[in-house]
Amino acid sequence: MEGLAAVALAIALVGVGFWTLIVRRNLIWKLLGLNVGASGAILFLVALAHRPGARPPIVGLGPGPSADPLPHALVLTAIVIDFATLALALVYVIFLTEHRHTQDVRRLERDEERGWPQP
Amino acid sequence: MAAALSGILAYLGCGLLGFIGAPRAFSLLALLGGTISFSLWAPGFPEVLVGGLPWGIAVAGDPWAVGLWGLGLILHATILLHARGRRDAFHPLTTVLIGTCLAAALSRDLFNLYVLMDLSSLLALVLIASGRRVRAVWAGLQYLILAEVGLTLYLFGLGLVYGRLGTLSVSALASLGPDLADPALAVGAALLLVGAAVKTGLFVFGLWLPQAHGQAPTEVSVLLSGIVVKVGVVALARLAEAFPVGTVLLLLGIVTGFGGLVYALWEQDLKVFLGFHTVSQLGYMLIGLGLGAGTGALLYAVAHGLFKGLLFLAAGEGVERVGQRRMADLAGQLSLPVAVGLAVGTWAIAGLPPLAGFAAKGVLAQAAPGWAKTVLFALGLGTAVSFSKLVPLLRPCGRGRTGGLGLLSGAVIAFGLGGILAIPGLLSLPACGAALLAAVIGYALHLGLRTVRPRLPRFTFDRALVSALAGAVGVAGLVTLSWLPWGR
Repeated sequence: MEGLAAVALAIALVGVGFWTLIVRRNLIWKLLGLNVGASGAILFLVALAHRPGARPPIVGLGPGPSADPLPHALVLTAIVIDFATLALALVYVIFLTEHRHTQDVRRLERDEERGWPQP
Repeated sequence: MAAALSGILAYLGCGLLGFIGAPRAFSLLALLGGTISFSLWAPGFPEVLVGGLPWGIAVAGDPWAVGLWGLGLILHATILLHARGRRDAFHPLTTVLIGTCLAAALSRDLFNLYVLMDLSSLLALVLIASGRRVRAVWAGLQYLILAEVGLTLYLFGLGLVYGRLGTLSVSALASLGPDLADPALAVGAALLLVGAAVKTGLFVFGLWLPQAHGQAPTEVSVLLSGIVVKVGVVALARLAEAFPVGTVLLLLGIVTGFGGLVYALWEQDLKVFLGFHTVSQLGYMLIGLGLGAGTGALLYAVAHGLFKGLLFLAAGEGVERVGQRRMADLAGQLSLPVAVGLAVGTWAIAGLPPLAGFAAKGVLAQAAPGWAKTVLFALGLGTAVSFSKLVPLLRPCGRGRTGGLGLLSGAVIAFGLGGILAIPGLLSLPACGAALLAAVIGYALHLGLRTVRPRLPRFTFDRALVSALAGAVGVAGLVTLSWLPWGR
């Protein structure tokens, strides 16, 4: 049951995250939405490792069923990647803010269409 | 296997050491190490689990690995020849990026492919933005965000497939023969496909591609269109091997081929025009994958990497030297080596004998049934129409730097001649006739269509995002539908 609840939460997180990504005009909000969505994917993988009555997959915790260790290993990599992506993207948002004085996607699009006039 | 892994280690290690000092020397050392490693494992090696049972990462030296290693090493040599004056982190970053692509070519594990696709996006963004131009940074940022959206969906698909089948190795999945009538598995496979499609830059999924490739600095565009895109193609090829999704890939290929073409026809910016043609050419590879002609798709991927790399190198060199980006402003301004490079690239992409494009298209056509041949001919005709725009640019004006242009032109010619000699039946009269016919009709159509200027909808960031997500839903529906009991 906890597994199912976690899957539902993961899908809800992706929904909220992608909704923010589409609807918000501010680049930082968009990046936050993207990160929330990625957290949803991570939670989804963790939820899949769940088995009823399972323990953490650590050697020496005694007999009985343990959670699937492979998704945990995958998730660790995915978390690091998400962190790196967010950090790198924010660097370029800072660059755009310094050069164009805006984080608004629509204004950036308009400037692009007009060939980037001096702000 | 050890030889291949040590080659990748040489690339990653030399790339990282290059950040400390002597970037060009370390880049050259990486190329040397990679070439030696490639010559040691060259004909290929069987699949091995690195890290041992039961959760090792599957790697194999299959034809895709061989093709992409050859392509990657040639492109790296070109860049080393061409980008002599570049400072900063350019050489270390390109070295690590090429190492990532080489690793992806070997990998036969879906999660490993995810990590490598992501790493290549991050490195590509840093390289695209390395010119510190606002246009390039904005295009690169859109690229990163869209690629991340795709890879988030990919991760979901990964979870669904692993939850059902308990493995992520391509060979293990293929031997299980996944039955996509199971909805969870169908959605999982579809999400994997969509994730790779967004990363590759297929039409309606990855509309970041033309701007990102067009705005990047010259050598970076060469790498992006030459080999980074092929990482996504390799991922799609692996998915086509693991899941029975041929029909969907075929459909995506046709849409991508013609979609990219329509935008390329009326694009004025030379490098963005080449970017749209990269999208269109991806269609050929996908049609090959969808028809089950893996060899044809692979040959096309390698040929495209060579001739599109050449086109981007020549175009970038010309654009940088003249300081204009519109094709009309560039006519009659390009130096002799640039004009020759553009001519060889155009000749190859139009599929005229005896260059790389002709050989690759011939192999694809050999495997295609009649109706698919018509589709391929129409695509080739469209390519000829839009590349006719480059003809006024081919008039040279003065001498200039050759750099890596000679090497890549040689590679395009050698690939074409080698392909024709090695594969029997390619250089037949009907094939040559069809190629020439397409070129002639294409040029005539170009003259007729010159005055037509339709207004195509611009793909802004939000539209690209929404169309990527809508495409994801569409493909998920398509895969599920095609495997329902009454759909078969």
